[in-house]
Amino acid sequence: MLRVVLRFTNLVVLTLLALSFFSFVLIYLFPGEPLANLSGIPNPSPQEIEQLQHLYHRDSVFIVQYWYYLIDLFSGNWGLSFSSGLSLSSEVARTLPASIELSTYALLLSFIVGLPLGFLAGLRHHKTTDYALLSVSVLGYSIPVFWLAMLLILGFSLQLGWFPLSGRISLLYEVPRISGFILLDILWSDIENKSDVFIDAVRHLILPTLSIAAFTTTIILRIMRRSFIETMNSDYVQAAVARGLTSRQVIWKHAIRNSLMPILPLLGMQFTTLLTNAMIVEVIFSWPGIGNWLIQAIYQRDYPAIRVGMLAVATLVVIFTMTIDLFLRLVDPKKSKVERVAI
Amino acid sequence: MSLLDIKNLTLEIDIAGEWVKALDKINLVINEGQIHALVGESGSGKSLVIKAIVGAIPQRWRVTADRMTWRGQDLLTMSIKNRRKVIRSDISVIFQNPKSSLDPLLTLGEQLKEIVPEARLESRLFWRREKEREKIVMELLHRVGIKDHKLCMKSYPHQISNDVCQKFMIAMALVSEPKLIIADDPTRGMEVTAKSQILKLLSRVNQVRKLSVLFVSHDLLAISSMAHYMTVLYCGQTVESGDMLQLKKRALHPYTQALLDSAPSFRKDLPPKSPLSSLDGTIPTLQHLPIGCRLGPRCPRARRECVVVPAVRRVHQHYYSCHFPLHWDKK
Repeated sequence: MLRVVLRFTNLVVLTLLALSFFSFVLIYLFPGEPLANLSGIPNPSPQEIEQLQHLYHRDSVFIVQYWYYLIDLFSGNWGLSFSSGLSLSSEVARTLPASIELSTYALLLSFIVGLPLGFLAGLRHHKTTDYALLSVSVLGYSIPVFWLAMLLILGFSLQLGWFPLSGRISLLYEVPRISGFILLDILWSDIENKSDVFIDAVRHLILPTLSIAAFTTTIILRIMRRSFIETMNSDYVQAAVARGLTSRQVIWKHAIRNSLMPILPLLGMQFTTLLTNAMIVEVIFSWPGIGNWLIQAIYQRDYPAIRVGMLAVATLVVIFTMTIDLFLRLVDPKKSKVERVAI
Repeated sequence: MSLLDIKNLTLEIDIAGEWVKALDKINLVINEGQIHALVGESGSGKSLVIKAIVGAIPQRWRVTADRMTWRGQDLLTMSIKNRRKVIRSDISVIFQNPKSSLDPLLTLGEQLKEIVPEARLESRLFWRREKEREKIVMELLHRVGIKDHKLCMKSYPHQISNDVCQKFMIAMALVSEPKLIIADDPTRGMEVTAKSQILKLLSRVNQVRKLSVLFVSHDLLAISSMAHYMTVLYCGQTVESGDMLQLKKRALHPYTQALLDSAPSFRKDLPPKSPLSSLDGTIPTLQHLPIGCRLGPRCPRARRECVVVPAVRRVHQHYYSCHFPLHWDKK
């Protein structure tokens, strides 16, 4: 088991190294002066250039430069943003948690809704419930996310006025930043009318979460349904039936556990889609997340921000996917290599 | 008294909108304490018969029978719950692929303990019940020839070898102390020693506990020494059934004869370098079943009358369905 963990850690470290190298190369590939791209100072004066040359060890070999770049990455000197002039590390620290928060709620919601519905559809295979759920899922599957977000805004914010149009929290309230996750921050802080602020934050969350979750929910529903049907038709479930176990025993003890196994790797793969969708939705709802921030950076040709933002998102995805893979590897008894020849 | 009595069992499968009779009027009677062999080549519906008996078939398939009783109780009209109960207590099945018929996510011990019937436990307290279960399971594993029961119990199905797995399946079949064990080709793909161990185990169980065994196989050699009674299946139809010795000595149906001939060790007078006999052609697929006697296109004795399904005829305890049986001309 320790070996497995070590191997995965190794893999993560290597992947991240490759990513960081790519981001380092980007400094040269982006248009403009590499020094400006690296530091984030748009038009450095000759004095500053000399200072920066020294700071980033521009006179040494390429690989040594990369080494100092890595050190800078770890110590948090990621440079400045062209457009705002603020330090990029603080910008990412501000925007990334907002995105993670939104995606987490969306993922949780799609699991809570998608898994039981998929299970239900699988249980009622070839019946009306199944067909109804399947048609609804095709609908959710094929609606573009941004369009759905627009429709939700049109319906629920503009027509009905139930939910706020954009943003994370009403401008009236001020929540001190502790973790960056707004719901947690509200719970931890000691502002007055806490419950009002909390409700306001939740109301801001509902529409973006729904528009991201729609797609993921349908995917989870479909995979769960298929996986459950396949498990029910598998030999061991048939055998359990033939042994005379009750339907409840068969389903709860054998079918559900086995049909849940293919869901987790799927989750790892869907995470990127989820994050991409979250980025689009963030722009529409002016959610102060990393997607919104990155897209603004792209519009303004803020190369240091693009570089760092890409690196941050990629790191998040790599670590998340690998963690899920590792978890699966440890949980699934089929993957352990113990063979017992003689008993 | 007969344990299982099946008359005219028909199973229809929907293939691309057409109902095909995968099993056509199967007759099967199993008596107490008897080893009954069900023989036929692959694709003849042996496994389907078993699935129909235990009820592990998809709901959209149609099962009909004139009679399908288990010790006088009708299995077809019984509610699903009762049927499960009967099967749980009286019938055990050993499946073809031992590995794929075990849940890959549970250890063998968990799976075996799960099916220990409540009736075999004396205590009411759950921790004592757990102990009792352990004890029952341990004894069972020893009885089927698994010595290291601890290692076996904590292994997952993919970790153990095929023949141990098959022994384990037999232990699973014995745990409910059934009246009938259905063994669906339990020796498939095994080498000779493992095979003979399994066969010995089954016949010992039959002798010691007066258990009936329905032995399904296409391996005549394995069966002929231990079975008392044999039913031959071809393409979803029962072609002949009768006493094992009687059948071996004087088969009436051409298909049974062909089956016996294809196993060379049954023919003592076989000269060296003589060609092995086998029927021409292969078993038809379900989409292209011939009308009448399904053996028709392959039968050496087929005549025009064979397009009508032959009725079951009887000579003492020997049933056959053929218009022109062997030894018939001599009568």
